[in-house]
Formats: sequence, C-alpha cells, structure tokens
Amino acid sequence: MDTLITHSSILIIGILLLAAFLTPLVGRVSERARNILVIGSLAFAAALVFALARDISFNGIHVYALGASSPGLATPEGFMVPVRIVLEVDGMSILMGIIWSIVALAATVFSLSHMSKETGQTRFYTLVLLMVAGGFGMMFTGDLFNLFVFLEITSISGAALIASRTRFADTQEGGFKYIVISSVASLMVLFAIGVLYSQYNLLNVGALAQAMQYTMLDRMALVILIAAFAMKLGAVPVHMWLSDAYSVAPVSVTVLLIAASQSCMYALMRTCFTLYGVTADLTAVGWIIIVSGILSMFIGVTMAIRQTDITRLIAYNCICESGFMLVGIGVGLAVLADPGALAAYGTTAISGAIFHMINHALFEGLLFLAAGAIFYRIGTRDLNQMGGLGHTMKFTAVFFLLGALASSGIPPFNGFASKILIYESVYQFSPILTIIGIFVSIITLAVFIKVFFSAFAGAPLPRYKDVKEVPRTMIAAMAVLAVMIILFGLFPGLITDWIIRPATDALLDQAAYINAIVGAIP
Amino acid sequence: MTSMLESGYVFWNPIIWLIAFVVVLVIVFFFRRQGRQDYKKDTAQAQIFLCGEEVPEAEQRHIRADNIYWGLFETLKGYYDQVLRPHTGIVNDYILWFVAVIAISAIIILIAG
Repeated sequence: MDTLITHSSILIIGILLLAAFLTPLVGRVSERARNILVIGSLAFAAALVFALARDISFNGIHVYALGASSPGLATPEGFMVPVRIVLEVDGMSILMGIIWSIVALAATVFSLSHMSKETGQTRFYTLVLLMVAGGFGMMFTGDLFNLFVFLEITSISGAALIASRTRFADTQEGGFKYIVISSVASLMVLFAIGVLYSQYNLLNVGALAQAMQYTMLDRMALVILIAAFAMKLGAVPVHMWLSDAYSVAPVSVTVLLIAASQSCMYALMRTCFTLYGVTADLTAVGWIIIVSGILSMFIGVTMAIRQTDITRLIAYNCICESGFMLVGIGVGLAVLADPGALAAYGTTAISGAIFHMINHALFEGLLFLAAGAIFYRIGTRDLNQMGGLGHTMKFTAVFFLLGALASSGIPPFNGFASKILIYESVYQFSPILTIIGIFVSIITLAVFIKVFFSAFAGAPLPRYKDVKEVPRTMIAAMAVLAVMIILFGLFPGLITDWIIRPATDALLDQAAYINAIVGAIP
Repeated sequence: MTSMLESGYVFWNPIIWLIAFVVVLVIVFFFRRQGRQDYKKDTAQAQIFLCGEEVPEAEQRHIRADNIYWGLFETLKGYYDQVLRPHTGIVNDYILWFVAVIAISAIIILIAG
C-alpha cells in the first residue's frame, strides 16, 4: 500500500493514459468490456486521489520526480536545481484532484446512457480519458513546461469531444472556436514560460519562485499568464467563446469542460500565489482580477436571463459564478502584502473562492446533466418548446431545482455556504462588491425561475405526454452530484476544516512549496 | 460542530436553519388547516375561470420563455444593445479582446508595479 501511495501521483495520470490507449483495442472486442475499462480506470484513479489526499493530510506535500533513484529526489546529484519532470501535490492540488475525479466519474457514468445512441463511442471514451489525464497532469505538475503540455492535452481532447456529435453543425463550430481559443491561450502560456526560462534557466515552479526577481520581463510574463488563464476559464471580457462551446457539446463533456476551466483557475492561482507570491506587490493584479470578476458576475447573469437555449443559459451562469471566485481571489491578492488584512479577511476570501470552485463544479455539473436529460428525451434545447416536463420527468425536475437553488445561493445548499464566506470577507475590503454579489445572486434566482417555469411547470403539453424519465445510470450520475450538494450544504464546517482550509494554507504557504523541492537537494 | 461554518465575524449553521424552517413550515401548515374545509375537487370550484369561460388548451395557455421578463428586457434595451455588440460569434473578435486585455493589463502592471 505504501508503494502505491508513493507512486500514486504518476499512477493517477499513467493509468488513465494507459486506459485511453487500451480503449480502442478493447472497444473492438466488446462495448461492455470497454465501458467497464473506462469506468474502472476512472474509479481506480479516484480511489488513488482520495488515498493520496489522506497521505498529504498526514505527511505534507507529496513530491514525485520521474526517473529519480528515489521518488522524492527532485534534484539529481551534481545539479543545483531540479531538472527532472517533477510532480508536486499539496493541499490545493489534491483539492482540485478530488473535484476533477468526482466530476469525471459522474459525467462518464451519465455518458453511458446519454451517448448510447451516438456513433464513435470508442473514440469518445478515449478522448474523455485523455482529457481527464490531462486535467490531473495540470493539477499535479510541479513544472511550467509540463503545465503547458497537459493544458494542450486537455484542450485538444476537449475540442474533439465538443465536436464529437458530427451530425450537428453547431458542434463543429463550437469545437473550432474552442481549439482556436485554447491554442492561442496555450501558445501565450508557452511564450510566458519562455520569457521566464530565458532569465532563470528554470522550469520548476518551486525553484522559479525562489529565484523570482520580479523584473520587467517577469511582469510581462505574469500579465500574459493571467490573461491566458482568464480566457481559458471564461472571465469577462474574454468569455464569449464559452457559451458558444459549452452550449453545443454533449452535456457530459460540458461538465468536464467546467472542471477543466477550474483547472485553469487553479493555474491562475498557482501562478499568482506560488510562482510570484510575496516577491511581488500584487495589489494591482488583485484589482484587475476583481474588476474582471465583477464584470463576469454582472454580464454573465444579465446575459443568462435573456437566453432561451437552456445549455447556453447555464453556460452564461457559469461565467457569472466564475466571477464570484475571481472576486474572492482578487481580494486575497490585493491584500497579500498586508499581513493584518490577509489574516482579518483575505484568507477567508480565498477560502470562499476555493470552496465556491468545488461547489460550482457540483451544481453547474448537475444543472448541465439535468439539461442533458431533457435533451435526451425531447431532442431540443429551446426553452420555448418546453413545458410541463415536471409531470413526467420528476427526478430530473427535482435535480434541476436542487442545482438551481444551490447556484442561486439559497440556504441550506452548498452555494450559500461558499457565497457567505465571499460576501462577508469581501465586505470588509469593499462593501459595494458584496452588494453587487448579493444582487447578482438574486438575479440568478430569477434566471432559474424562468427555466423551471418554462421547462418543468405548467400543464403537461400533449406532444410530451409519452415522455418518460431518463435511464437509471443518468439518474444515478445526477443523484451523486445532488447528494454531494446537500452534504456540502449541511456540513460546510466539516468541508472547510478537512479540505478548504488546508488548500488555502497550502496556497498561501509559498515557502513550504519551495522547500519541498529545493529542500530535496542532496 | 461539523455543521458550523465560522469566518471570524459571522457563523452559519444549516442545521439551526433547517430546524427554524421546519418550525415555520408547521406554523404555515397550521394556519392552512384553519381554512375552509368544504372545497370539492371535481366541481366548478376547481375551474380556472369561475365565470364559465372556456379554458384554452395546455399549449395555448403555457407562457413561453420568450415572454417571461419581457418588460425587463424592454426597459434594459439600451443596456442589452451595448452588451450584445461584442458577442459577435466571430472568433477573430474574441482574439482581439484577448489582445486588448493583455495590452491594458500590461500598462496597469508596468505602471502600478
């Protein structure tokens, strides 16, 4: 068991990559065996993530150097700096891993029925496994170049998955936009990495953070990294692609895309807090992120309320919810150089943002799966064509309502718990930001009242009288997310104590991240 | 307590909220029970229009999503005209916004430090 834990970080990525390459072979033999391989590998990766989380909670940061005589030996003998491919998993990385593993498993179980009538399923599952492996790589990697490589893997597989239903023209357009945006963002990330490498001859995040001088070139690299990750996560004003891509993808893929955008949020946080951290005065960066967050909240929700395409509406709601996280992170960055303010409310703002990341993945995931369930049964995303579905699709209606209430920040669901942390802490920084946040939450509720009324309420429409509830696997996938929303809402103290505060502490403890690598010099 | 969420200034306990919710629910149910008991389900009392007006078919009386909040959209027409303008659907425009964000952020960071 100890050996398994020692190698778990690379095993999580390696097993999924291996399963991705085996899927086309197994798929030729039997569809059932292929599905077992896909679900089994994802479940095993999830189990390893939880085992690794337990190990990190007891033993601290997990470092794994590929090709080293000892996995923890990041710097080879005779070298002063780490040169190997290094995975570094701390409280923040493993939190992202937990989100990613739960969402990936739920989305893939949902796909078993949702995609059962589509062609090219073997290719679909191969790409899903590649995307999940890429996501884990982004979260666990300890060096910038591999961050770029895993970002590319996630982006390319994501674009192919968006366009996987080739019988729809809009999926091709959505996939094209996603790959253009992702390629530009990835190349800009690579350019910024090149700028940093040209100065320090380093790619390792910990070693780079230690060497960081915050020169003019470092500032330019920071701007480029922030802009690229902001575009990938769909922050206003570089958000327009998100609704075009999310709304046309199969919903199980959209759920993965949400989690992938969270990994870009993670990369943004890692860049600001770990790579630059206390070396630089990030007040201006914090304000840029706050402004982008406020714009994301306001434009996201006002665009959402206007939509009549259910998945496009939820996609705009995703932009809005990302705004809450950006405001929390921005406030944390703006007061990073002020220990008093950081202790008084900055840390809580960051905790609220991190808590909202996990909640966002759960309730937006549930909303998209419920929207996908409707599309599966009635074949349209147009709210104008819907009505009275709550009479025949009771489970879907309840799950959608649950996701909608959580997204709107209605107590006692999980969205409220994370939003109250953000409201309360941000209020001490600037009360107007909290007022805007509460106003946006109220509009979010109005958005989902519109959807629930249009789709589920009212008298049953004659054309949908034969519509049935979706298959059990789809209900099971939605139920998993619904149960987690309720549990996270009822026991927020437990969640913050177990995973959110350790993640926040890990993010703010730049010295520990650096020492875990640099301290490994023989 | 595992339900309690503390942030330094306020606390949030969903279990207490749930207990309060159930108490309010019981009070509401009690007042509802005080209402008229002579309501008959399958009589004219259950008709939508007591005057006898014919009830339209379900398709006709369902309010479509397009019509919900139409007054809000009419009032905010000026705002929506401005907000919708950058949402062209053309990926070249999206990249232009990205370039603009980099340029503005760079100016701010280089000046502000």
